[in-house]
Amino acid sequence: MEKRIEDYDVVVIGGGAGGMTAALYAGRARLKTLLMEKSLIGGLATYTSEIENYPGFPEGIDGTELMKLFDKQFRKFGVNVKLTDCKGVTRLDDGRWNVSTFRTDYHAKAVVLATGGRNRLTGAPGEEKYLDKGISFCATCDAARYTGKKVLIIGSGDAAIEEGLFLTRFCSEVWVSVVHDEGHVDANEVAREKAFNCDKMHFIWNTSVDSFEGGDLLNRVNLKNLKTGEIIPVDVDGCFLFIGYLPNTKLFEGLVDLDSRGYIVTNVDMETNQPGIFAAGDVRAKTLRQVSTAVGDGAVAGYMAERYIGDLETIHSDILSKDKVLVYYYNASEDNDRAVLTKLESYAAQHSVDIKPVDIYKSDKVMRILGGEHLAVSLYKSGKKIATVSVNDSFDLSRIEANL
Amino acid sequence: MAEKYLDCLGEACPVPLVKTQNAIKDMAVGDVLVVGIDHTCAMKNVPDWARGQGYNVEIEEVGDGEWEVVIEKTC
Repeated sequence: MEKRIEDYDVVVIGGGAGGMTAALYAGRARLKTLLMEKSLIGGLATYTSEIENYPGFPEGIDGTELMKLFDKQFRKFGVNVKLTDCKGVTRLDDGRWNVSTFRTDYHAKAVVLATGGRNRLTGAPGEEKYLDKGISFCATCDAARYTGKKVLIIGSGDAAIEEGLFLTRFCSEVWVSVVHDEGHVDANEVAREKAFNCDKMHFIWNTSVDSFEGGDLLNRVNLKNLKTGEIIPVDVDGCFLFIGYLPNTKLFEGLVDLDSRGYIVTNVDMETNQPGIFAAGDVRAKTLRQVSTAVGDGAVAGYMAERYIGDLETIHSDILSKDKVLVYYYNASEDNDRAVLTKLESYAAQHSVDIKPVDIYKSDKVMRILGGEHLAVSLYKSGKKIATVSVNDSFDLSRIEANL
Repeated sequence: MAEKYLDCLGEACPVPLVKTQNAIKDMAVGDVLVVGIDHTCAMKNVPDWARGQGYNVEIEEVGDGEWEVVIEKTC
């Protein structure tokens, strides 16, 4: 089967809340945008039956319903949708990115990685059946549902103990299943201290989940003592799994910087270390993973992708497509920089060469994409950088003149 | 590398899935099966099954409420 090639301005990988929002912003900016999703649109939020902390829905809303609204909204702006797996992202010679699927290579000026993550599961029998029917992964999301009730937490890391403490404000009893020996938890010292002093928190040591049981809803978790093999039935109203969260970034190893746990590292503008690649939502290294934070990330990523493409266009039309042009990187708010510009302008007129001043006061993106430096002058000929000199200390352009 | 179209328009679950499974059985590795469906439940169980087999899957929305599930038999 011959691979097709399609050109896009922006390709968003991942159809959760973050990806859909990025696509909405890009599409609304009239960029040719593609959203790629490996299974169904909606992402992790569709596993939540009631979202009560997404503003605008005072009565709360079903996660799937909310995602349907997102879906309807971003499609309004002409975004194309492909329901398929992304096989990889590689750099093309012309600086664009190739997002490949098994049938098509999508060539994009900017890419937004919004592949999200998934909660680690125990793999115990019954688990699948009770996901979101008593098994939960987020205390912030679900604590209110268990007011006055008894819950069991699986895990003993920071998330388990801190979220467990949060749950004690709502629940009558919070039990914690820990794989370690009595007195040992993985959580930080402060959380541990608080947990051990909390009357509502009880620990069941040396245990892991053997199975989940119930009717329509979960009502019992059978724990197994790892030393004796004894099965300990725990009757509960809910069970929280805090045994880890895994970002979907296997595909991007070696492409963008990841932190030690595999999350994509970005700055506040959602930029990764690769120019033109942005990240949004749960896949990003950050503290709070919610629909509301994914939306914020997506908006920034979509907007920054638009800005980046604007910069690329400027670079192409004003610099790379010219026979001969001098590029000057300066800060327009600095007297000295402006004085040098005046000198350069008369120099350029004398030598009948175009000049492109790049003001870095508001943004140094163009300079960074071109690999330039503040107070440097570069000569570009037909898209190629021929020579660069610094005009920081003296105004000596002889090395450029030799190439004019 | 043959490409074959399987018309399941107007068919309710589980017929599209069963037809897909039968059609793929007779195909060679590298062949592509395009399944036309308009029943939303088939849009989930057909791709789910195919992915579970390790095949490449792409879903294309060809019209309002009408999809083509493209499956490449990879193994």
